Amino acid sequence: MAGQSDPHLSLFSADELEFIAEDEMVEIVPNLKMDALNLISGDFGPFVPQITTQVPLWLAVALKKRGKCSIRPPEWISVDKLTQVLEAERESQEMSEKLPFHYVEISRLLFDHARDDIPDVYMVRSLIEDIRDVRFHKVETDLEAFNGRTIAVKIKNLSAMEVNIVRPFIRRALQAFCKHDSPELIPDPERVSDRRPQVANNAPRRQLRR
Amino acid sequence: MAKYYDIDDIITEEEIVSVIFQKEASGVGIDPSSETDYIEAGSKLRQAVSVNVPPCFNQNTRLEIQADSACVDLRSRCPFFYEFGCKVAPLVGDRTIGFLLLSAFKNRYKEVLTKAHTAAFTAASKFWSILTKEEINMYEAAQSSMASFKKWRMGGPRLQKASVLGRKRKSTE
Repeated sequence: MAGQSDPHLSLFSADELEFIAEDEMVEIVPNLKMDALNLISGDFGPFVPQITTQVPLWLAVALKKRGKCSIRPPEWISVDKLTQVLEAERESQEMSEKLPFHYVEISRLLFDHARDDIPDVYMVRSLIEDIRDVRFHKVETDLEAFNGRTIAVKIKNLSAMEVNIVRPFIRRALQAFCKHDSPELIPDPERVSDRRPQVANNAPRRQLRR
Repeated sequence: MAKYYDIDDIITEEEIVSVIFQKEASGVGIDPSSETDYIEAGSKLRQAVSVNVPPCFNQNTRLEIQADSACVDLRSRCPFFYEFGCKVAPLVGDRTIGFLLLSAFKNRYKEVLTKAHTAAFTAASKFWSILTKEEINMYEAAQSSMASFKKWRMGGPRLQKASVLGRKRKSTE
């Protein structure tokens, strides 16, 4: 069950996110002959040597650990693609949409278990690190724009791990902003210390007096 | 009532404010010749007293917050600056406290945001000591989520055996 690791801090731990990311599909080239696997999540296979097939990442990693397949790295894990993404990330404040939702987790799983299947693994790895840093910096600048009238945050194409890192902080910050902004909007003294975020007040709020 | 057992809320209400009695009160157990007494914030006694503005919201603090709110040591003034402000503002009847709280929080929030996710723990210890309780909660939430992410990223089979070592052993066996 989600959130068992530390229910107070964030909904998921990094390991739980990794677990979720293991359901993403990857292509593998098996080197064994095996019938199709009928699992609850679907049927995978049949496995024929040198014939590529689609399996979830957890199955790919399990087969790879036993030396039964080689993993075809996804299209976006290549020096060319990642260089393009990095450039795009550096150029604009928008988050690039070319990376999958679980790119941090998938790349780490592949680096850990399928190093030999990724061409230029060191270059790819450092590119992904750079992209992650650039993106996280952008998230921070986005969050700096918070002010009292913020009710929700909208950041497009944020990945699972990035949003998980900032979630506990944002939650507390938004709560505090809602609390401190309410006396300005609602002069009613009983509601000043109301902790609940006032979701209903979607109307643009009055400008602050300076 | 939801915050009845909240220890922070209880401590906040322990904050001392000075008041002026508007009506005669007998049996309160104070020197009858003195006009002022200390009661806890939040216990508004049917307009029997008027509450003075607490020292942490005085003109000096306001000027400091206007100048550079990120550097003001709010913790030494009142560790529960924001909560206390929210509670005391309706009692004092000073509408500007709300604006003061919001603008102070807004500016200090940026500082917390940039430092919380990046700065190393030791480097931030000085910065840490001027935060109020609410800001510390936020800061710690960010630090611990960042730390757990880093732990996850570093974990797993990270160390590789150098190819030389493997060969050497084979030749001896």
